[in-house]
Amino acid sequence: MLPISKTIETDLVVIGGGIGGLMAAISAAEQGTRVVVLEKADTRRSGSGGGGCDHFFCYLPEVHGNDLDVIFQELMESQIGSCYDPLLTYQFMKMSSSIVRKWQEWGINMKPYNNEFVFRGHAFPGRPRIWLKYDGHNQKAVLTKKARSLGVTILNHHDVLELLHDGTRALGALALDNSRSEPSFVLVQSRCVMMASGTASRLYTPMSTPSTMFNTANSPANAGAGHAQALRAGARLVNFELPYRHSGHKYWTRAGKGTWIVIFKYPDGSNVGPFITKATKEVSDITSDVWNNVFTDMAREGRAPIYMDCSQIDEEDFQCMMKDFESEGLTSFLNYMGKRGLDLRKQAVEFGQFEPYFLGRGVEIGVDGQTTLPGLYAAGDVVGNVRGAIAGAAVYGWICGENIGKRYQDLEIKPVADLDLTRERMEFFSSLYERKSGAPWQEGNWGLQQILTDYAGAGPERVRSETLLSAGLKNLRELRELCKAEMKVSNSHELMRAAEVFDLLDVGEAIMLCARERRETRGLHIRKDYPFTNPLYNKKIFYIERRNGEYVVGMRDKYK
Amino acid sequence: MPPVIDKEKCIGCGLCVEICPCEVFDIDHAPKTVPVVLYPRECWHCNACVLDCPRKAVDLRFPLHYMITTTDAAALNHKAGD
Repeated sequence: MLPISKTIETDLVVIGGGIGGLMAAISAAEQGTRVVVLEKADTRRSGSGGGGCDHFFCYLPEVHGNDLDVIFQELMESQIGSCYDPLLTYQFMKMSSSIVRKWQEWGINMKPYNNEFVFRGHAFPGRPRIWLKYDGHNQKAVLTKKARSLGVTILNHHDVLELLHDGTRALGALALDNSRSEPSFVLVQSRCVMMASGTASRLYTPMSTPSTMFNTANSPANAGAGHAQALRAGARLVNFELPYRHSGHKYWTRAGKGTWIVIFKYPDGSNVGPFITKATKEVSDITSDVWNNVFTDMAREGRAPIYMDCSQIDEEDFQCMMKDFESEGLTSFLNYMGKRGLDLRKQAVEFGQFEPYFLGRGVEIGVDGQTTLPGLYAAGDVVGNVRGAIAGAAVYGWICGENIGKRYQDLEIKPVADLDLTRERMEFFSSLYERKSGAPWQEGNWGLQQILTDYAGAGPERVRSETLLSAGLKNLRELRELCKAEMKVSNSHELMRAAEVFDLLDVGEAIMLCARERRETRGLHIRKDYPFTNPLYNKKIFYIERRNGEYVVGMRDKYK
Repeated sequence: MPPVIDKEKCIGCGLCVEICPCEVFDIDHAPKTVPVVLYPRECWHCNACVLDCPRKAVDLRFPLHYMITTTDAAALNHKAGD
C-alpha cells in the first residue's frame, strides 16, 4: 500500500483553492478558525478563475437604487436564473455589494473604468444590468496572499481523492500528495469540510476538437471531484439532468462571449438577431444569450457559419474590448491574434456551441452554505441550486466561511485513519499504482465521454429516451468495472487523473439516473419519449442522493 | 504541443512547474534546470506560465487544429450593402 506521508488536524479543511475555497478560508480565518486548503495545482493560478474574469454579477444600491427586487428579478428571468432556488439567490444579492468592496480593498480592481462602478456585458437593451465590469486578472494571486496573511495553510499539489465521513457527518479528506511524482497519501481530520472543487469538465466528447480532451470552456482540471465525493458521502445534488452548453470561437473552446462587442452575422452579411443594429460597449448583441442554440440550429439548417463581427464598432469600444479580454483571462487568445495575424477589425470570427459541462448543476446547499450532510459546506461551481461562476463563488464562499467560523467549535475532531472508508479507498488507489500493467486513464475518460455523448446527449442535436438512458447506464457501469480492473497509473500525476475519471464516472451515472426520471422535455434535455414540457415542473427541482447504498432520485419545490 | 521554453532565457526557477493548473510539467523539477513538458496534451492554454515567468522564457504553441476560423469582414458587410 502507498504510504501516508502526513496526518493533519485542523478546524476546517477546504477542498479546492479556487475563488469559493479561498473566500471561505479567508472568512473563516478572520474569525480565528484554523484552516487548511487542499489544492490539486496552485492557488495562484488554479480553477476556472485562474486567468481572470471581467464580469461580476451583483447588486450595488448606489448604482441600482434601493429596490433589490428589480435586480433579483432580472437575474431570475435572464438566461442564468431559471434552475436556482430564489431564496439563495436573494441572499446572494444581499451580500454581493459587501464582497465587491472587500475585493476592491484587497487589490482586485472592481472599478477599471474611470474609478467608477460600470455595469455592462451580457446586457439586454432597455433592461437593468447585473454584470459589473471588473479587472480580475490578478484575482487568484490577491486572494492567495490575503489567505496566507491570515495564517491559512495552503497545501498546493494536494489532490483530494475522497471526502471522509462516517455516514452522519463530514470528518475530513483523503488527499494525494502530488507535489512529487512518487505518490503518497495525506490524511486531514477536521471539524468542518468546505467543498469548493469547481465544475465538472471532461464529461462529454469535446464538440470543437474530439481528439483533444483538455480543450474546454472552464478548467479541464476541474473534473467533478466534489460532485462525486459529496454524492458518495450522502449529500443531495440537484439539476444533474439539465444540460448546460457554452459557446465561443469554434475550434478553440473558451468562455468569454460576454466580453465581445459584436453583431452576429450570417454568411450573407445580414444580422442573425433582431436586438441591435450597432454594437457598442454599452449594448452588444445578446442573440446567443437569448437563443442559446443559435450556432447549432443554424448549422443544422445549412445557414452556418455564424460570424462575430467587430469590424464596425468604434475605436474606443474596440480598445475597451481588447482591455477586457485581458481582464477576462483571455491573454492566450490575444497572443494568438498577434502570432497568426488575426485582426478583429478586419476579420469576423466563426462561433460554435460547445459540449455540456456543469454550471448550476451540483451540490445542494442551504441559505447558510451547508449541504444536507452535516459539517459539509459548499460554494462555487460545485453547487447546483445557486449560481456559481466568479461572483457566486466569492459571495457564497464568504457566507460559508462566516457560518463555519461561528459554528466549528460545536463539532469534534474525530480520527479518520481507522475509518473503513479511508482504508478501502487507500487500498483501491494503491492497487492502481501497484499493478504491473494496464490501461491508461485516458481510455476510461474517452469511454465515459463516448457513452454520455451517445446515450445522454444534450440538445438540440441529440436526444434522450428511456431506452437510450437505460442502455447507457448499463454501458457506463460495465466501463467502470473495466476501469477498476485494468486501469494502471505510474506516478502521482496519473493517479490524480485516474481518480478524476472515477469521479466523472459517478457524475455520469447520476446524470443518466436523473435524466431518466425527468419524463418531459425542457431546454436541452430532449426526451423523445416525452416530447412535451410539463408546467407542473416549472417550480420544481430534481435531486439525487444516496440512501443505504442506493441512489434515490426525487423532486422538490424551489426554496423561496 | 505547448508550452515551449527558451533554454537560453530560462533560469530554472521552477515557477511554471508550480503554478501550472494542469500539471503539464514534470513535477520532479530539479532546481536550476529547464523544466520538462511531460503532458503537453493536458495544456489548457491558460497562459499562466507565459504571464508569470520572470524571464519571459515561456511561449505557448497553438495546436494546428485550434484554428480561429474567420471570414473577411469588409466582404461580409459589402454583401449586406453596408
